[in-house]
Amino acid sequence: MTKMRKVTLFLTLALVAMLMAGGLCFGAEKYPTKPIQVIVPFTAGGSSDLTARTVEKFWTKYSPQPMLIVNKPGAGGVLGEEFVVRSKPDGYILYVGQGSGHDLVMPHLQKMPFDPMKDIAPVARLSIHSIVICVSGKSPIKSMKDLIDYANKGNKITAAVSTAAGSVDLVMRAIAKRANIPITTVPFAGGADSTTALAGGHLVIGGGHPSEVMPHIKAGRFRAIGVALDRRDPTLPNVPTLKEQGIDVATWGSVKGVAAPLGTPPEIIEYLSSTLKKVCEDAEFKKAMASISQPIDYLNTKDWTAFMQRAYKDYGDLIKELDIKI
Amino acid sequence: MDIFTGLINGFSIALTGTNILFCFLGALIGTAIGVLPGLGPAATIALLLPMTYVIGSPVTAIIMMAGIYYGAMYGGSTTSILLNLPGEAASVVTCIDGYQMAKKGRAGAALGIAAIGSFIAGTVAVVGLTFFAPPLAEFALDFGPPEYFALTTLGLLLAVTLSGGSIIKGLIILFVGLLLAMVGLDPISGKIRFTFGSIVLQGGFDFVTLAMGVFGLGEILYNLESTLKTEIVTTKIGKVFPTLKDWADSRWAIFRGSVIGFFVGIIPGGGAVISSLASYAVEKKYSRHPEEFGHGAIQGVAGPESANNAASSSSFIPLLTLGIPGNAAIAMIFAALMIQGITPGPFLVAEHPDLFWGVIASMYIGNAMLLVLNLPMVGIWVQMLRVPYGILAPIIVLFTTVGVYSVQNQIFDIYSMLFFAALGYGMRKLNFDPAPLPLAFVLGPMVERSLRQSLLISGGDLTIFVSRPISGTLIAIFVLLIVGQTGFFIKRKRRGKKTPAT
Repeated sequence: MTKMRKVTLFLTLALVAMLMAGGLCFGAEKYPTKPIQVIVPFTAGGSSDLTARTVEKFWTKYSPQPMLIVNKPGAGGVLGEEFVVRSKPDGYILYVGQGSGHDLVMPHLQKMPFDPMKDIAPVARLSIHSIVICVSGKSPIKSMKDLIDYANKGNKITAAVSTAAGSVDLVMRAIAKRANIPITTVPFAGGADSTTALAGGHLVIGGGHPSEVMPHIKAGRFRAIGVALDRRDPTLPNVPTLKEQGIDVATWGSVKGVAAPLGTPPEIIEYLSSTLKKVCEDAEFKKAMASISQPIDYLNTKDWTAFMQRAYKDYGDLIKELDIKI
Repeated sequence: MDIFTGLINGFSIALTGTNILFCFLGALIGTAIGVLPGLGPAATIALLLPMTYVIGSPVTAIIMMAGIYYGAMYGGSTTSILLNLPGEAASVVTCIDGYQMAKKGRAGAALGIAAIGSFIAGTVAVVGLTFFAPPLAEFALDFGPPEYFALTTLGLLLAVTLSGGSIIKGLIILFVGLLLAMVGLDPISGKIRFTFGSIVLQGGFDFVTLAMGVFGLGEILYNLESTLKTEIVTTKIGKVFPTLKDWADSRWAIFRGSVIGFFVGIIPGGGAVISSLASYAVEKKYSRHPEEFGHGAIQGVAGPESANNAASSSSFIPLLTLGIPGNAAIAMIFAALMIQGITPGPFLVAEHPDLFWGVIASMYIGNAMLLVLNLPMVGIWVQMLRVPYGILAPIIVLFTTVGVYSVQNQIFDIYSMLFFAALGYGMRKLNFDPAPLPLAFVLGPMVERSLRQSLLISGGDLTIFVSRPISGTLIAIFVLLIVGQTGFFIKRKRRGKKTPAT
């Protein structure tokens, strides 16, 4: 019986300790007083996830409470964002990945369970990066011109894209339209999946974010033949843009933004936005982001909101022009 | 750096106090989450990722995470054998004969041979990894959509033939599994299917919910009907550890399972599941007493368990040599490496030899630790079966419910688990074997996606599946198996018709 008593005593003490620890968080202290949950609507290892985790690594330098990254993949990013939309706007749930395909592209194509332009509050933009068009390293194609010649000879062009109607898919279809060549886009289960298939040489071209394709380019398995931006990507200075090669396709690429549930108090949003700015200006953070090939391109709340509206409209126009339907 | 120098360097790193401690910690945590339903290795590694920046040395962090990953495979077999609860798709096959063995009082032997087989397989896989990693990784890249289609369809066929009992019933369950897998988003076009307007269903059903419902709760509901049974084990629990005879019976199964698991596990995607299926099918074929399978044949535990452990070790190959993660848990480890500024890929060996060889060396140590951890525990686990069912069943219900909720923190998952429980109960009442259901649920989406991708690539031309060497071979095996089965079927029917005439 003494053993039972000892166990009960220990458990009670442990319980009391836990309650006390929870209780200590009470009080009208300044935000944040407990860890902030950050939802990433994609699986680990992807560009949004890596960006979030890199931010998290340096966040505690500038904020008393850490970030807790939670991956909630599904429905191309919709499930994770929806979770945030329906969460309490108390400043302890954030969302990283705003500005991806499901925010800017999907609403034009299918019914969403919420409105990404209205039902969530933008906080800041962290990064924006291009879609890099690649071919297999063994391919004879060395530029977009080669690709067009290849197509005109009657060869089929298959393109590996990360998800249906995602940013890569759109770029491929835009290229097909503007360069007047037929491209069949083949969707996969995400960026890693599609770049793997391209690495195996199962498709003619593919597209992805610099962080996804860089290791393969370095290994000689991929050759980058174009980037879909207005200017060259700083991490790939030798790769010409599509516009330079005569194909008028430039999109906003993949945007990494941070958002919070609608109704989050403005002081909290201001705190988050300015702390994120400090993180973005940190030298070590810059180094870390460079190592995952993710350029830093900070925008504060006001500018980010305006950017989202503009990008959303641009994508809408592009989709109408390309006549894409699901 | 040649292999032996590298390995010796690796051991010198892996055998430091800190690294041994973290290897052990990883193995321990892995075993624990493998036993507990719900939390899987992917989610656990994700939770522990922030630790990687604090630990300091990336080698130590990866050693621990690798330990969690293959440790979970060891733990997963425990609940499969004792309670017919598969924690992961790769453990479903172990349930088939493992649980039967437990019912006959041979749980100890099953658990023991699973641990031993897993150790041998894990070690074989790491040896293979050490020597053959780069060329094998290139082989894995050759698997494009047509190959995946052929492989996963073969897996479906194996799933049907495994179920004891009639093929027709197996097919019915298979199709139910496929149907359940279709709920959610279309993988190619993103269209919403079978959600009846529900937003939660857009993500589809979750495997853990299905497994816990059909196998766990379904079994309990069915058992509630027979008031005579008071324990899971109806006969006396015999010797706790496997006997020498068990070893003699199983050693070839373990060897074959290791080899199958090693090679199939390299393929990103369905590696562990398909390898366990393939191993079971091979063992059934090579056995002198195939009728025992489904009723407690030890080879049916030894083979698949070895296969899935070998597969979990060989799944590191595409990660370390090509920088390609093969499944969710490996993807987490990939993320951990990237955050440290280490890009996994063909340059990993050259740029970070310490990390590469250190992790490989730690896997040898980790497998040994897991054997030492699990074997003595067998005696304790077996005692659990002595608990009166009236107490054990509610505890199982509690654990599975909490486990299912912990996956996504959604109440809806509990409701869907109840739905699956009703399904599982119905299946058992009508004498259907539920084993093909989770397998079809996991493999089905892969079949659909790879089929449609292949047809997109070929422009609708079906010959793409046979014109490529690897997929052609797999399709040929598939056809041979079907022809063989139908031939067997017809022969039996003819024999049946002849006897009344004589």
